[in-house]
Amino acid sequence: MPPSQGKQILGSLLVALAIAAVAVAVVTAHFGPTSSAELEAREERREAAEERREERGG
Amino acid sequence: MEDLIEELTRGNVAEVKVVLATVIVALAVYQLVLAAVSYGKLRPRFLESGPATWAHRASGDMVLVLAVLVAIACVGYYGFDEGGAHAVFGCLVLAALAAKVLAVRVGGSSSPLLPWIGAALFVLFTATWLTSAGDFLGVG
Repeated sequence: MPPSQGKQILGSLLVALAIAAVAVAVVTAHFGPTSSAELEAREERREAAEERREERGG
Repeated sequence: MEDLIEELTRGNVAEVKVVLATVIVALAVYQLVLAAVSYGKLRPRFLESGPATWAHRASGDMVLVLAVLVAIACVGYYGFDEGGAHAVFGCLVLAALAAKVLAVRVGGSSSPLLPWIGAALFVLFTATWLTSAGDFLGVG
């Protein structure tokens, strides 16, 4: 016996929301960080690593 | 208009458009499944035709709102100049959406045109996505 119609509708809409959430997560993960704060932090880490390499090399 | 779109997306206009367009295409696939259940072509034990029809309409409304938002961002920020095939498909999507709403209003939910317009809409959504977001993600 199938669940009540209300439950079926609610379930169908929850599936739609889950599909939307998964699509957002997958595409956002594909892009990587885009916020300026994260990009700046990444750049700082890269520069610090470069400086350490130069110090070791020099 | 360009400044507003840039501010709303925090400078990530293309990325936001790609995310929203991908959500639209993913929901369009789900719409096909719900329509198949609604017309009795698929008969899962856990979902009947009535609730599937109701959910198809509700998530179709979501898709409509998202599609209009993406279209406004696209035309408002990029314009038509370099759109090419993407601009053509995008305009056809909006025309098909308008035709579907009109078919429901005039012919009701049993209009024989609805499955054809719905199928055309799915193809057009996919083509529009492939010529922009798909390219951007390296799929198209």
